[in-house]
Amino acid sequence: MNNVIEAHGLTKRYKGTVAVDNIDLQIPSGRIVGLIGPNGAGKTTALKAILGLANYEGELSVLGKNPAKDRAALMEDVCFIADVAVLPRWIRVWQLIELTENIHPRFSREKCLQYLQSTKVTLDQKVKQLSKGMVVQLHLAIVMAIDVKLLVLDEPTLGLDILFRKKFYTNLLNDYFDEERTIIITTHQVEEIEHILSDLIFIQDGRIALDCSMEEVQESYIELIVAPDKAAAARDLQPLYERELFGRFIFLYKNSNREQLKSLGELHTPSVADLFVATMSGGAA
Amino acid sequence: MNRLMALIKREYWENKGAFRTTPMVIGGIYILLSLMFIITFNHFDNEFQSLKELTRFLSQTEVGLRSDIIYGVSVGVFPSLFTLVLAFVVFFYLLGSLYDDRKDRSILFWKSLPASDTLTMGSKLLSAMVVAPFIFWVIYVLTHIVIMLIFSVVVLSLGENPWTLFLSIGNPFKAWSMVLMSYLAQSIWALPLYGWLMLVSSFAPRIPLLFAVMPPVVFAVLQIWIEFLQTFTLKKNLFGVIGDWFANSPLILSADNHGNDKLEISLGVPLTETFGHEATLGNMLDRLFSTHMLIGLAVAAVFLGAALWLRRRATES
Repeated sequence: MNNVIEAHGLTKRYKGTVAVDNIDLQIPSGRIVGLIGPNGAGKTTALKAILGLANYEGELSVLGKNPAKDRAALMEDVCFIADVAVLPRWIRVWQLIELTENIHPRFSREKCLQYLQSTKVTLDQKVKQLSKGMVVQLHLAIVMAIDVKLLVLDEPTLGLDILFRKKFYTNLLNDYFDEERTIIITTHQVEEIEHILSDLIFIQDGRIALDCSMEEVQESYIELIVAPDKAAAARDLQPLYERELFGRFIFLYKNSNREQLKSLGELHTPSVADLFVATMSGGAA
Repeated sequence: MNRLMALIKREYWENKGAFRTTPMVIGGIYILLSLMFIITFNHFDNEFQSLKELTRFLSQTEVGLRSDIIYGVSVGVFPSLFTLVLAFVVFFYLLGSLYDDRKDRSILFWKSLPASDTLTMGSKLLSAMVVAPFIFWVIYVLTHIVIMLIFSVVVLSLGENPWTLFLSIGNPFKAWSMVLMSYLAQSIWALPLYGWLMLVSSFAPRIPLLFAVMPPVVFAVLQIWIEFLQTFTLKKNLFGVIGDWFANSPLILSADNHGNDKLEISLGVPLTETFGHEATLGNMLDRLFSTHMLIGLAVAAVFLGAALWLRRRATES
């Protein structure tokens, strides 16, 4: 069992509408996966199934366990931040730490306090006295102090300023991530996480629109920037997507002949954001 | 076990105001009233003249009678405010127990911890059945001790002996253990209600109080109406069942002197004849080992099972 997550025909229906539609998914360990899709695409629903928070149809195995049946056991090896600011408002920071320590076998108080030292959060404060950003900092400090095999972050940095977001992702990569662990992140700020991702999954209308590693992205996809007079020639080479920027045309290709493209203009590796836009408008895949 | 204790501690932290501060306020009120009573006497009375006479009069009454009255007051009158408020505290605690964290979405945090829904619900039920009653009981006992001390000092200063007057004959230990027993017996007796409150707490989309009260009321009214249309009589309906259940409670709910000197302390309200109402341990056990209790436990199991089923699905949408 090398795969942390294995899903076959994963489907979730809500009263007639299909939120997740027959998804097949394999996520091996030691990866940082970006799960990216527009609002309402089914990201959160898929994550809920994986975390044992919702029932589903199809086969799903997370760390060899059935999340719908073994949520409590699964949570010893899985940690998640489901959404921003879900910490109970009445609790004091020290109570939260003591509670997690008593319930979670893999929680390290020292690590948590160490992470909190770099914030303004103090132990005697109640969660409701903290600012939105501080609540997220506290939640992340707790989660990162738990030694688990799978970490799921659903919009972890929503509402945080850019300094903290940068610091958070650096910490995540340097202090937390290793080959034993798998991290799944969903976010709308794709450009901030693309340099730390190892894999990319695009999800659209409950289906997987793209599932590949970042190396594959760099190998297969290429962006060509051409002057207007070369646009027609570039268009003949069957681009996936085209857009116009400052009077120049930008084309996205998959598995094309690089030499041929190079003769027309500048070549670039596309950003995840551009690939996403191209995929969502029906181009790639 | 460790996890269960941690979860119970969590419930205590969250409800410290209801579980601890509330009985402390009641105790404080009792102590304050006792002091005011003494100060009032002192104010209108020169040198406690009438209090002195009252004490002298009391010390001359028959020991058996005095002991009865002191015990009756300690077990039946004095804890009544604690008992009443405890019932309210437990009612609203359970009503919010599976609702509040759904409302503020912190349920997502609780579900991210490796504690099963069964364990979580167990910790909440135990908090209502044992933790809250026990804290109320401890503070009732402490308040009782403080007030006995205050009156001992007063009686001493009036030149009488508090030990022979009331301390040695009131049997406070018996009173305290009777109150504790009745609290714990009530926790079991009330399980159908507790189960219902947790079920409502688990499914109510909003205003759980409304969802707790409306269905039984509507059901009972319909029952009465249909019964009346069919037979022109009013037989047993849900209101009657709930009323009897309440009247049969093992809580010490009434004290009556029936016009004579003996203070009669009753379990529940002495209107029904199913069980004995005299405040004895035997009568409490009678209730707990009855067919009524068995049916009650079955009802509670259905409610709690349904609450658990809903709790597992609380994060679906």
